Amino acid sequence: MVNKDWLTVALAKGRMLPPALELFEKVGIGCGQLRENSRKLVFTVEEHKLRFILAKPMDIPTYVEYGVADLGVVGKDVLMEQEKELYELLDLKIGPCRLAVAQKRGGGKFNGGYVATKYPRVADRYFQGQGKQTEVIKLHGSIELAPLLNLADAIVDLVSTGKTLIEHHLEEVEVIAWITSRLVANPGSYQVKGARVTDLLQRLEAVLTEGAAEPC
Amino acid sequence: MNEKLRRLLTPEGVRDLLPELAGQKRELEKMIQASFSRWGYGEVSTPAFEYSANFVDEMKAELTDKVYRFLDERGRTLVLRPDFTLPLARVVATHLSASPLPLRLCYGGDIYRYAHGQQGKQRVVTQAGVELIGSGCAGADAEVIALAVDVLQELGLVEFTFCLGHVGFLEGMLAAYEVAEAERDAIKFFFNSKDFVSLKTLVQSLALSESAKEAILRVPGLRGGKEVLREAAKLVPGGAADEPLRLLAEIWEVLADYGAAKFITLDLGLVRMLDYYTGMVFEGYTGGLGYALCGGGRYDQLLGHFASQRPAVGFAINVDHLLKVLQRVREMPALRELVFVGYGKAQRAAAFAEAARLRQEGERVLVDVQERALRAAQAEGERLGAAKFSYFSQDCSRQCGRLERGAANGE
Repeated sequence: MVNKDWLTVALAKGRMLPPALELFEKVGIGCGQLRENSRKLVFTVEEHKLRFILAKPMDIPTYVEYGVADLGVVGKDVLMEQEKELYELLDLKIGPCRLAVAQKRGGGKFNGGYVATKYPRVADRYFQGQGKQTEVIKLHGSIELAPLLNLADAIVDLVSTGKTLIEHHLEEVEVIAWITSRLVANPGSYQVKGARVTDLLQRLEAVLTEGAAEPC
Repeated sequence: MNEKLRRLLTPEGVRDLLPELAGQKRELEKMIQASFSRWGYGEVSTPAFEYSANFVDEMKAELTDKVYRFLDERGRTLVLRPDFTLPLARVVATHLSASPLPLRLCYGGDIYRYAHGQQGKQRVVTQAGVELIGSGCAGADAEVIALAVDVLQELGLVEFTFCLGHVGFLEGMLAAYEVAEAERDAIKFFFNSKDFVSLKTLVQSLALSESAKEAILRVPGLRGGKEVLREAAKLVPGGAADEPLRLLAEIWEVLADYGAAKFITLDLGLVRMLDYYTGMVFEGYTGGLGYALCGGGRYDQLLGHFASQRPAVGFAINVDHLLKVLQRVREMPALRELVFVGYGKAQRAAAFAEAARLRQEGERVLVDVQERALRAAQAEGERLGAAKFSYFSQDCSRQCGRLERGAANGE
């Protein structure tokens, strides 16, 4: 049921979870129980009236959109692909990487053709904007395989270090967008739970600017 | 897809409502209109489609690519109404141009828009709303907000918030800092979508003083009670936004007298994208729903497109969203139980008379389509989901009683 005092935050399972938890711990919200490797998907932090739910990254915008979660932490790549009407409140600077076009090494300029990706809508929009004719092939993982097997001429995928690309004899040719995790809210929660959302937002913002000022 | 299957489907973004839900929705619309009527608003009904010129010139980019267009028999472009405010402005400019002002009008019905990109978005949306035309004062602004609050309360909604802003605040601020036109639009766009990450990136990249950047980036945080107005005034040099802030303070005072101030949160970053808003804007939200329940504002220029300029303010409620919320927070009126009236030989007239009497009492009555024996009539009533029966037998006696409702779920 709707409870004005409690705040529900959806977090992505997987590699983005530890840095997100670290951030919440820095603002004083103990997330120890989420670090334990259990099968639990819902965690409550009684003293802060916070509830965390763990979900697949691609599902986080949906949980937030439907109001099951008030806030979510999710990659900009997912937000770009799903184009939901969510408020993007803060760049949490977690998991910096880029959404890039890559193709077989030495292929020259990519001028259209078949593109394999987990992000068909982003790819479609991007190449349409460039006036390049492409046919987008949706895959769910191991995107690097597609050019190797001649299923596609190029791929659109997340790149962080670029090591995976090199291992598969691919090279990055264009960057579509720089990606980090964002704090998102649905309009209803943003307004009805305004004070709590603003409070958390400001605390996270403070921690992030502090972190940026520190020499590393 | 094969043709036979296609015949059974509805297009994307539209849906059928079955008896229970359709009944609740109709009831809800009636209740909303009754509230409007109690505040002295008169209902206006406009056609579902009109010449595109009535709309498209006024709508600008945000709506023009979302309207349904088609041609009439002479090749003129028609559009399905994407909104009620423009048709009402036309009605005021034509039929009601001599009416005493301020004029209070209300409406209810479907609007049609292509929903782009989003999953599960409806393309036909039922709205109910009001327009108060011919008064530019804060009292008029406050009245429509108070009316919206009243409607939600009347419907039994407890937990909701109205955020209130003024398009002139941000405009005044951006003008005072001499932000270029194109950049102003981009900034407003990010405020509207509350994409604060892009907003920050954009503002940081502009050739503005650090204090100007800081001031603009502080606007999203200008949310809360009246104290926000004082804070906001400090961010804008030369009093360029004093008038909007003064007006918001005045609206707040009037709303306090309505007893509605407790539902209001000031949000100076609130921008509603439709170009026609010129003054205060507001939106109503409730917890657990990712969309606004209602929204509106002041549009003082719009009527000038049809006839002489007149100040106007209004709002629309999204009836579909409201229904969804109400179903969750309270018991919605269920359909009344059915009474099944059956009859034996030569008793049809008596049965019909009984049915008429029951209907007068407000019962929902099914009358059998043919004469049957008592047992068969009871079985028929059960099969059709009736809860009670009334039977007129050949010997002029009458039996009534309850039926097994579970049988309704049988074959």
